[in-house]
Amino acid sequence: MDYNLREDIKYTASHEWVRVDGDIGVVGITSYAQHQLGDIVFIELPNIGLVLEKGSNVAEIESVKAVGDLQMPVSGEIIEVNKALEGTPEMVNSSPFDDGWILKIKIKHSDELGTLLSIEEYKKIIESEGH
Amino acid sequence: MISINGVEIITESKKTPLYDAHINLGAKMVDFAGFFMPVQYESIIKEHNAVRTNAGIFDISHMGEFLLEGEDIFPFLQFVMINDLNLLEPSKGQYSCMCYENGTVVDDLVYYEETPQRFRMIVNASNVEKDFKWLNNHIGDWNVKITDLSYQRARIAFQGPKADELLQTIVDTDLSEINRFYFRHCKLNDLPIFIARTGYTGEKGFELSMDNEYASTVWNSLMELGAKPAGLGARDSLRLEASYSLYGHEINDKITPIEAGLFWLVKPKEGIDYIGKEVLLEQKSKGTNRTLVGLSLIDRGIIRQDYKIYKDGNEIGFVTSGGFSPTLQKTIGLGLIKKEFKEIDTEIQIEIRDKLLKGLVSSTPFFRNV
Repeated sequence: MDYNLREDIKYTASHEWVRVDGDIGVVGITSYAQHQLGDIVFIELPNIGLVLEKGSNVAEIESVKAVGDLQMPVSGEIIEVNKALEGTPEMVNSSPFDDGWILKIKIKHSDELGTLLSIEEYKKIIESEGH
Repeated sequence: MISINGVEIITESKKTPLYDAHINLGAKMVDFAGFFMPVQYESIIKEHNAVRTNAGIFDISHMGEFLLEGEDIFPFLQFVMINDLNLLEPSKGQYSCMCYENGTVVDDLVYYEETPQRFRMIVNASNVEKDFKWLNNHIGDWNVKITDLSYQRARIAFQGPKADELLQTIVDTDLSEINRFYFRHCKLNDLPIFIARTGYTGEKGFELSMDNEYASTVWNSLMELGAKPAGLGARDSLRLEASYSLYGHEINDKITPIEAGLFWLVKPKEGIDYIGKEVLLEQKSKGTNRTLVGLSLIDRGIIRQDYKIYKDGNEIGFVTSGGFSPTLQKTIGLGLIKKEFKEIDTEIQIEIRDKLLKGLVSSTPFFRNV
């Protein structure tokens, strides 16, 4: 199956993506993840200014049938959330890598970026999940 | 990152006769009550809306089907069921519960009277073995024989405002003559089929039962009519809007039908003893300490089963079912709470991941079109 993966972004094994620009990262969930969740109906967004470690739960993504956690791909401070998702959470289904971005972080330790996955590494993760 | 409400695929799961049809349609399959079942095909919301506006088909072959035969079905079922069989007649079905002595629920089910000596019964998938044993354990000296047809027959629900018009084009009986809860044995494109005007979606429609060998032909015929395949996800969101009880949620072996608001099911049946009668009639006349209510949220969020409900800091109950209503575009739910807070519009709080969100007690059903 084609999950429209992008070359210009990095991935995590827990199905987040991050687009890095200097010390700022834009974070969302992958097309594979939104497909697994199904119709997304609510996203509980974090407060601006919150500082979280890599791997911490930062947002809850509720679909009709399931709940998914968004985890911090790297440590950092929340500097912006996608307010448009409050009214149209389904944008995460329709445009997971663009309009459906979830939050922006100020990256705390740039050396953590090396732990993120390339498109090829992430493809292997999806394939190993058998889909 | 994803857990589908604790549902995991178990390799020993059973397949319904429509398993290949679901796979070919690209369904997302999950284990449900020991069966590989489609939770959705393309989108729960689209499937839900198709049933509300046109017609949808559901594979419900995971549910159990028993055939009861014998001279004593009437007294036997009067003893194990809480509803009154005097309200039944040949060609009609009846919704009922089997209860334990303490009034809590063994299962909720529908039985159809084909003749006074032959009944068909449809039970919940998760309770097939328990029900079969429970029924057999109470036959005693009555002349009743129960055959489990669950794995020989398939079941399909065909639901939606267009269900009548569409189904009429391929059956050899006048569907307008079948009233709600009545049924007929007839032919669908020359295949023998059982058609009942029953359902679990809050829409008009039918539930069909047929031999396994006809299942995929019937399924394809209904798809050709324009019915959209719908999975367990839509089945649950539709029944929650319609506020129908689901075993394991609103009713179970710790909740009685009276607590779940099913007052009308508990019949006096004067002069007839039935299991749970004493407790249930007392609850019906005196009330219970807790009662099932509708829930809606003032704050934004989604409520799910087992979330705790509070009033001014005190825990008063729990959510039995909750979710997003595609029809009403808002969060809805059902919950079992202390009776003193049951009035409509009582403000309550529901705990979601360590936060208390504001909500209201709401009237039910949230939506029904039957």
